[in-house]
Amino acid sequence: MPITLLAQLSLRNIVRHRRRNLMLLMAIAVAVLTVLMANTVIRGMQYDLREQTVSNLNGHIKVHAPGYLDDPSIARGFELAAGWEPKINVSEVEGWAARIRIPAVIMSERETRGIQFVGIDPAQESISFLSKAHYDGQPLNTSSDRRIIIGKEMADQLETQVGRRLVIITQGSDGLNREAGFRIAGVYDTEGTAIEKIFVFTGVTALQNMVDAIVVTEVSVRLVDDAFQLSMLDSLLRFFADLEVKTWQQLEPLAAAFFLFAESAIYLYFFIIMTALIFGLVNTLVTSVMERVHELGMLRAVGMRPGAVVMQVVIESTFIMMIGVALGLTLGWLIFQLLPPVLDLSSFSEGFEKFGMPAKIHLRLHVSDMVLITVMSMVFGVLASLYPAKRAVKISPLEALRL
Amino acid sequence: MNDVVVTVRGATRTYNEETIPVHALRGVDLEVHRGDFISLAGPSGSGKSTLLNLIGGLDQADEGDVIVDQVSLSELNENQLSDLRLEKIGFVFQAYNLLPVLTAEENVGFVMQLQGMSKTERSERARETLASVGLEDLADRRPGDMSGGQQQRVAIARAIATKPVLLLADEPSANLDSGTTEELLQLLKKLNEEFGMTIVTATHDPMVMAYTSRKINLRDGAIVVST
Repeated sequence: MPITLLAQLSLRNIVRHRRRNLMLLMAIAVAVLTVLMANTVIRGMQYDLREQTVSNLNGHIKVHAPGYLDDPSIARGFELAAGWEPKINVSEVEGWAARIRIPAVIMSERETRGIQFVGIDPAQESISFLSKAHYDGQPLNTSSDRRIIIGKEMADQLETQVGRRLVIITQGSDGLNREAGFRIAGVYDTEGTAIEKIFVFTGVTALQNMVDAIVVTEVSVRLVDDAFQLSMLDSLLRFFADLEVKTWQQLEPLAAAFFLFAESAIYLYFFIIMTALIFGLVNTLVTSVMERVHELGMLRAVGMRPGAVVMQVVIESTFIMMIGVALGLTLGWLIFQLLPPVLDLSSFSEGFEKFGMPAKIHLRLHVSDMVLITVMSMVFGVLASLYPAKRAVKISPLEALRL
Repeated sequence: MNDVVVTVRGATRTYNEETIPVHALRGVDLEVHRGDFISLAGPSGSGKSTLLNLIGGLDQADEGDVIVDQVSLSELNENQLSDLRLEKIGFVFQAYNLLPVLTAEENVGFVMQLQGMSKTERSERARETLASVGLEDLADRRPGDMSGGQQQRVAIARAIATKPVLLLADEPSANLDSGTTEELLQLLKKLNEEFGMTIVTATHDPMVMAYTSRKINLRDGAIVVST
C-alpha cells in the first residue's frame, strides 16, 4: 500500500479545508486539555489520599497481634526485643515505628471524650503525619516524655489549651482501669479534622508504664516507594509469622477503593469527553468524504484499491487527531507549569474534610497519563474514521464518477 | 505476441432504473487490436459509455465476457480489477478528474506511485510525459491554475505515463473548444501513430471520429456500423 502517497494526499486535504479542520483541531485540543487538567486534579486527589492514609499511622504495611483489629486493647499487645527492626529489604524502607494504640477516655474540666491513646517514640514518627503537623506549643521529645499532644479540634472540644492538665482513663494489662493526669505539651494542627478529634499522643514508655505492660500493639513500616509493597509484605509475613501483617489497602478498604475508583474515573472521564468529540469528528470526516466522492471514484478508477481508499480516510483522521492531541497536550503541559503545585480549596475545606479529603490538592501530571491520552485518542480517531471510510468505498467508482 | 488487446463477447448490460429495466448493451461483440484508434459513437443512451466502462473494468457485464490483454474480467475480484486498471489501462475522463491538491507533475506521478515506482524514476518520467504533451513549463502548477485544455493534457499525461496497453477516453473533448480539441486529437493521433498506443474513445463529436482509424456506431445497445 502506498502509505507515502496516502499520507501526502491526507495532509494536503487537511490543508485544503483549513478553516473547517482548524475548528476541529481546536475542539480536539480543548477536549484533550480538559481531560488532562481533570487528570491532574484526579491524580492529585488520588495520591494525596494515599499519602494521607499511609501517613495516618498506617504506613504502607502494619503489623498487629492476631485479633487486635477486632479488640484493640493492651491485651493484644506483643513484645519487641531490643533492636527489633527487621534488617530486610533495607533499601526499600523509609522508616519503622512501633506504637501502643489503645482506646481511652479523656477529660477536661468541662468535657469528656473517647479517644485513641497512642504511645510513640517521636524519633520514629518521621514516617507519619506528626512530622509535618503544625504545633501550638511543642511536640513530644522522647519515648519517655510523659506529656501529651492533642489535636486542635479536640482542644476546642475540651475547651483546653497548651500547659493545661487532662485526665486520661484506660484499661491496664490486668484488665483494671488506670487513671492519670497528663500535661498538654502541644496542640497539633493537621489536614483533616477527624484525626485531630481522635488521636492523643504520649511517649511509648510513659504509656507502657501506665498500663503495666512492656509491649506495643502495632509496628508500621513506610516504604520508599509504593512499588515495593508486595515484596516487603512477603518478607514481613515470613518475619512476623505469628502476627497479622496487613497493607494499608487492607486496613483502609474505603481509601483503597477510592484509589482504584480514581483510576477508573480517569478512563471514564476520557471516554465521556471523547465520545462527545467523536460525533464532531465523524461528521467532519463524512462531509469531507462526501465532498470528495468524485475524486475518490477517480482514484479507484485509475487503480487504487478500496483498502487504500479506506486507509487514506483513516490516515486523514489520524493526522487530525495527532495534531489536535499534540496541541492539547502541549497547552495542558504549559498550563500545568504555570499553575501553583498545590490547588488550595480551603474555602470549601469543611465539605472536603467531612469526606476525609484534604483541602489542598497536590496537582500531578503523569507522563504515563499523557501517553495513555495519546494512544486512546489515536484509537478513537481510527474508530471515528471507519464509518466515513466505509461510506467512501461503498459507492462504486463508476457511480462516484457520475456524481 | 497476441495482436488482440480487447475481446468483448456477447456482452449485455441492463440497468434497473426504478421499475423499468434499461438495456444499455444487448449482446455486443467487439475485438480491439493492438495499435487501433477506435471511436465508439452514437447518440446518448446508445451504450457507448457502458461499453467503454465494461472494457475498463469499471462495470461488469450481466452476460458475456470482456477479455483485456488475455485476462477475463468476469473472473476478477475488486482488488484484482483495481490492479488490472492500474497496470494495463489508462483513463482519460470527460471532466479531467485531476486531484486539486497535487501539482501537474504529482498528478501525473501518483499512478506510478501507486505502482510502487521510486520517486526519482517517477519524477523523471512525469516530467518527460508532461513534455510530450507540451506542458513541461507547467509541471509545478495545480489544476486550479490551468485552463481546461491544459488540464485535459495533464489527464492524458497521467493516463499514458505508465505506458498502459490500452488508453480509454470517455468524451475527452466534451468540455473543450474546437481549437483545444484539435490539439488534443493531434496529441492522441501522435500517441497512436508514433508509439503504437491502442486507444478507444467514446464520443459523439464528429471531429474526434474523423481522427480515429476505426469507427463503431452503436444504437440502442448494439453495434450497427463498424468500419
